[in-house]
Order: sequence, then C-alpha cells, then structure tokens
Amino acid sequence: MEHAYFKQTQLGPLLETLRLFGELHGPVLSEAGVASFAALDDLGALRLDYGKTRIPPKKYLFPFREELLQYRDGIYRQSPLDPPNIVLFGVHPCDLAAIAYLDRVFLAERPEPAYALRRERLTLVGVSCEPDDFCFCSQPQEGGACDLFLAPRKDGFQLAFAGAKGAALAEAARGLLSEARPEGEMSAPFRAIPAQDPQLRFSDHPLWQKFALTCVSCGACSVCCPTCYCFDLREYPSLDGGGTRLREWDNCLFATHGEVAGANFRASRLDRLRYRFLHKYCGFSPLEGMSSCVGCGRCKEVCPVDIDLRELCGGPDAAAAVPPAPLRPAS
Amino acid sequence: MNKPRLAIAGLTACSGCQLTLLNCEEELPEIFARFHLDYFPMAESFHDPQATFDAAIVEGALSTPADLATLFRLRNASRLLIAFGTCALFGGVAAMNNKSSARLTLLNGVYGEASAGVESFPPSPFRNFVSVDFAITGCPPEKSDLLALLGALLAGTLPPTPCYPVCTECRSRENLCLLLEKNELCLGPVIQGGCNARCPASGIVCEGCRGPVREANVAQQLALLLERGFDAKEIERRMSRFTPEWDYGQRR
Repeated sequence: MEHAYFKQTQLGPLLETLRLFGELHGPVLSEAGVASFAALDDLGALRLDYGKTRIPPKKYLFPFREELLQYRDGIYRQSPLDPPNIVLFGVHPCDLAAIAYLDRVFLAERPEPAYALRRERLTLVGVSCEPDDFCFCSQPQEGGACDLFLAPRKDGFQLAFAGAKGAALAEAARGLLSEARPEGEMSAPFRAIPAQDPQLRFSDHPLWQKFALTCVSCGACSVCCPTCYCFDLREYPSLDGGGTRLREWDNCLFATHGEVAGANFRASRLDRLRYRFLHKYCGFSPLEGMSSCVGCGRCKEVCPVDIDLRELCGGPDAAAAVPPAPLRPAS
Repeated sequence: MNKPRLAIAGLTACSGCQLTLLNCEEELPEIFARFHLDYFPMAESFHDPQATFDAAIVEGALSTPADLATLFRLRNASRLLIAFGTCALFGGVAAMNNKSSARLTLLNGVYGEASAGVESFPPSPFRNFVSVDFAITGCPPEKSDLLALLGALLAGTLPPTPCYPVCTECRSRENLCLLLEKNELCLGPVIQGGCNARCPASGIVCEGCRGPVREANVAQQLALLLERGFDAKEIERRMSRFTPEWDYGQRR
C-alpha cells in the first residue's frame, strides 16, 4: 500500500479526475433528508460528513431486484447485462469490510456472473469516519477492500492506494498529490461482532422469546444490512410464451424463506431468529466460523421495535474471545 | 398453445380492478389474441349463460343476493376462481364500517324511505362463501400482478407471490421512514407489499390498501402505534379502511 497527501482545495479536482474512471457516485442527501449513495452529477451535493447511508453499497453489486434469465422455447439465456463503470466515493470502512465479505460469498470458487461483472466495473474510494450513536465498531479504522482510501488530516487528506486500479487512479491524479509518510496504520478491516459459538443460538436466554414476540417481520434489518445477501428467485411466464427469472433480496425472518412444498424448515419466528443469528454471527460453510457483522449499526437504527441481536452474544467479553478472521486483500 | 377462456366480472365495487385490465393498453392486443374473453359484462353485453371458463377473475365484495348468485355461478362454471382486488379478498372500502354501523342505518341514510325494498347485507369477502384458487390484492391492483397472472395461466400455472410487507420495498427505495422518523401513522409493517411502496415513496403513509401481509404481527403493530402516541380509535379506524377484519391479538 502506498501513501500520498493532497490539500483540501484539491478535493474538487481529484473528484473530477476520478470521473475519468467511470460515473462518479457518492453520499448525498435525498430531498427527504435521507443519506444515500447516488450519482454525483453536481459535486456540491457530496456530503462527505454523512453518518451512514440508508442502504449500503451492496446495491451497486447486487440490486434489490434484477432479471437474471430469460427463457423461450425451453431454453434459458442470461439476461443482457452491461453495467457502467462506477467510481463509488466516500465509502466508510465498515461498508468496505462488507464488500470484502460479499466478494467471498459471490466470487469464491464459481463466481456469480452478474455480481462479478458489476464488481469488476466498480472502483471503491474509502474514507475514514467517526462512529455515531448507532455504530458498534470498537474504533474508527482505516483500510479495507478498496482502491483508494482517504483519511482527513490537517488541511487535507492522506491518501493510500493499493492494487493496479489504485495505482492507475493515483497516477491520473499525480499532479494533485504530494509525497507523504504514512501516519498510523492502514490496518485490515475489523469485525464488530466476532464469530460466535453456534451453540449459542439454542440458548434459553429470555430475550429470544421477547424478540420473537415483538419482531414485526418488516425486513428492514436485512434490507439495510451491508452483508445480508440472501435472495429469492421467481419465474414469471409472459404473455408471448416466454418468461423471465427474477432475483430479489429476501429476508430469513420471513415465513416464506424456509418454506418448501408442504412444510417450513423454520415455521416459527423464534426458529427464524435463531437461524438469523447462526448465519450472521457463526457463518455458513465455506464461511463457517466467520461473523458477517461489520458494526455499521444500520439494523439497530432501522428496527421499529429496537431488536438488537448483539444482546444475545455471549456478553461484553465475547468480543475478545475469537480473533477477527483475515480478509481477502484488496485486488 | 391453448387459448384459455376467461370470465371478467365485478360485484359490489367501483370497477377499478376491471379498469386495471383495460389500462393494460400495450398488452391488450396480445391478451385478446391469447385468451377467449367469453364473459366480460363491463366491456361487452353479449354472453352465453351456459359458458364455462378456465378462470374467472372477479372483483368486488358481496353485499347483495345478486352478488352471491353471480359468484356461485362463476365458481361453478370456472375451473379457477381468482379474487381480484382488495374488496374480493378482504371486503375493502365498502366494508370499512361493517363493525361500527348497522346495515339498516346505512341503508336508511342513503335511500331513505326507499330502503325497504333494497336487499343488502354487510359487504363480505369471497372466502366467506366460496373457495378461492388465487388472489391478486390491491386497490386498485398493480397491472404487473394481473399480467403475471395472465402469463402464468397461459403456461398452465399460477404466478409466485412474494409475501413481504410494504416496509421491505420502502426500505429498499431509501425512503424516509414515515413511522419512525416522522411519527406518522403508517401501516407499512403489516400490509402486503408488491406496490413498490408507492405511497411512502411520495411522502404519504401506507393506508393499507393491499390488506394484511401473511405474517402480520398485528399485536405488535398496535403496541408500537399506541406507544408512539396514537389513539386506539384512530388506529382502528385507519386499519379498518380497507380490511375490517383484523385480529388485534395476532402475533404470528
């Protein structure tokens, strides 16, 4: 990882330089006042001091709803997909860690084609942050799976870059940068809640019952989670005899998620909460033993009934019990 | 490809659901080419009383003996009966005062002395009288749901039906949460989604026009609204607008 420095006044020119690599997107405030990642047609809309976006950057890699396949005369074809090159600017370390996790889910062994193509065309520029009231990462951290990373310093930004993409970005912006010695570590991403003992999901802690009674199954926690990736596939025949297969975000707290012909693997909401705990904090093979919580705090912020699954983890000392799992280095 | 025979009909309703079909302007030629529309009183006057159908798509609640006769006839004449729209499924707006006003009082209010000759009972959903094979909810229903049904019928099946509440799509659109962030009486958590959070996306609370989501935690929604300072009567009035029958103790 290499380092450089640029002055605050060079932020605008740097952003214009980034446009050379694709559509520039970053955190903005919607008309209603909700922070979200969106196209930065006007640099004045950029809100680098944002807390967290409502939906994490996963929407760029794995949209809420997409058509995967088309079929006709009994033959399936992949739906055409040609995503634009996008430079996503201003991503916080927790969201970068989440993308590194999703990369492991979708790109390991047999890469998922739609995700892989969007990922290839996504350039990530991270920025360090200050935790708000809902965040539960232990401390602000730098680094993660990104091409460029910015950390505010006196009158400017320290910039770190890694990999071929990062080097190309830094080269294009060379005129704006000055040399800098690294201040502090550009450390690996963290896990806010470390992997938990899978047996914990069977615990008779009274909170399980309470959560099962109060959860309204609205789905907000997983829609807004940066690492929730479970999806539903549905096929719709069309009037002309063909059809399409759609993929849409799903939620393990919905009754339909574990439903098969004639039965449901997890018929009660309590079963589904225990299952969510298992997937989130214990991991499924081949990510078994890996927590996917990055501490962004969105689930807690959006829950209408204040459910916080962390309260079911093994108490305050649990964080020290399991060392954070290593992450794939930025490519 | 087979050419299914359809009946399209309405009972006590505003005909808005049937209009959803007529609003599918781009697809209408394809629909007319692929289906026999053998019974569609709203669009054509002639029909064969002996006709049988592959599917009867029927809107409206039942509130008169004539409604019942039509529904029984279509149920008997059709392989599939599709409840089309919120009234057919839950009673809808016509039924909103079922619990608060006696039928006779309402009839007198509307027809005065002439009410003596009017045969009418509290508007009810299909399921109180007949078995229903499939349902499309909404007031009015989404065009896409109707087209999905028609496409599936051609393929000899029924379309998949996602079972998430309005909140799921609303969150996916990064809307301001009207319930939590503006403290407005939004019914999103207990109402069937599929509308892509049409109202909350334009700053209007979910009024519940698509009826209860399968897994509605009604008791918790009620507790949540009471906790946020809404009056119990007002909550019930709003919940009843499209669906008079809620089990306020339900936590499933």
